[in-house]
Amino acid sequence: MKAPNLHLNLLHASERQSSSPVRLRVMLPIFAVLACVGCLVWWGVLACQLILVKSQAASIQKDLAAKNAEHGDILQQMGEARNAQAELDQLTMYAHGRRTYGTLFKNLAEAVPEELQLLSLEIPEPPVQNLLPPGAKPGPKVKPLLGPTGTVENVSLRIVGRAPKNKPVEVLMQALEGDVFTNALVIAKGVPSAQASPRIHSFQQDASPNNDGVRLLAFDIEYRCAERRFEK
Amino acid sequence: MKAQNFQDPSAQMKRAMLQALAIGAVAVVLYMFCVEPSQTSLQKAKTDLSGLQDKQAQMVRDLKGAGQVKERLEAIKVQRQDYLNGLLHPMLESYAMRAKSLLDPLAEDVGLSVSDYTELPVRRLPLPKPQAPQLYARKPIRMTCTGSYATIISFLLRVEQKLPLVSLEAFSLKTQKDPDNQSAMIVLEWPIKGENTAAAAKGGVKK
Repeated sequence: MKAPNLHLNLLHASERQSSSPVRLRVMLPIFAVLACVGCLVWWGVLACQLILVKSQAASIQKDLAAKNAEHGDILQQMGEARNAQAELDQLTMYAHGRRTYGTLFKNLAEAVPEELQLLSLEIPEPPVQNLLPPGAKPGPKVKPLLGPTGTVENVSLRIVGRAPKNKPVEVLMQALEGDVFTNALVIAKGVPSAQASPRIHSFQQDASPNNDGVRLLAFDIEYRCAERRFEK
Repeated sequence: MKAQNFQDPSAQMKRAMLQALAIGAVAVVLYMFCVEPSQTSLQKAKTDLSGLQDKQAQMVRDLKGAGQVKERLEAIKVQRQDYLNGLLHPMLESYAMRAKSLLDPLAEDVGLSVSDYTELPVRRLPLPKPQAPQLYARKPIRMTCTGSYATIISFLLRVEQKLPLVSLEAFSLKTQKDPDNQSAMIVLEWPIKGENTAAAAKGGVKK
């Protein structure tokens, strides 16, 4: 027995010849609705994320506010430590630039031969500091720097004296090259004369004879001392 | 709409297009006025949150290291105090007076006769990095004295021993006929408090 077939003809005659099984007039509104729903869902997701992020931010802000006073103290201490360290650094620079010459002069007295007469001993004052900003010319409007740009100060010892002959001077110069003077005096030989130490400024027959009528040799020798380094 | 529109395919197509356009327009409006502003707000909120998280992490780090900072500060203060004890402070606004009060007893001990104390211009120290608000400088004091070579050297040795921050800046000794009365000029240098840049800046703001 054959069952009866119910056939609904939903297609128009012209549509039967279409190549597409799904019709555009159905799909277009569906796509539009989907796009609309998609936007709504997207907006919802974004709104949820925003609420979440804002609540996290609020919680962190609350935490920060609670710790703010304590943190302020720590920051103040850190600033204080930074300033104190900077002060200490500058004072350390001074301490590293400190030089003592008492022992040098004490040893010098022992190194001077008996026949040799010292007329003067001098460690000259250092030159005036250059506090001009780099490239600036001196003038009333130029504000000096708070500190010099250079950290090294040269020191020298000038020995002026007389001797009956050149032998005692040589003995003195040899003695000054000894170990006891190593830390205080710089010995640099075989270098350009401007950098040499000792530098002989003059070594000549003295014009006036001494009490015994003997004409003496006058000498003027400059030694470079260990430089003062104002560094940490 | 008429009943025949539902039977006419071109009319149905037009209707579908109109519906799609209307719904699409709603979708565009939703995107422009809801999604896009929300995205911008979310981005900004995330940036803010990231900044707050960094700040919180920094704060936690700082709070964890609080003990170390305190210890370090104390250690620095102790070290600095050693130097501060050796600073030359003015007496009656005169550094030379203070130097005299410190050096005269040492000179008397060795029998050195000091005739004069003179203040020389301050010499500045190189600046530390970072720069401290309180700066220090070098103050040279020139003293003129007479005594034997041995006395002068004894005095120098005593100064170097008793005043560990004092440095000899310049020295000049001219021999005289009497070996017990040599004339010497000694320039001794102390560290002193220099400019306070923080105070100077505050003063500048007040003006």
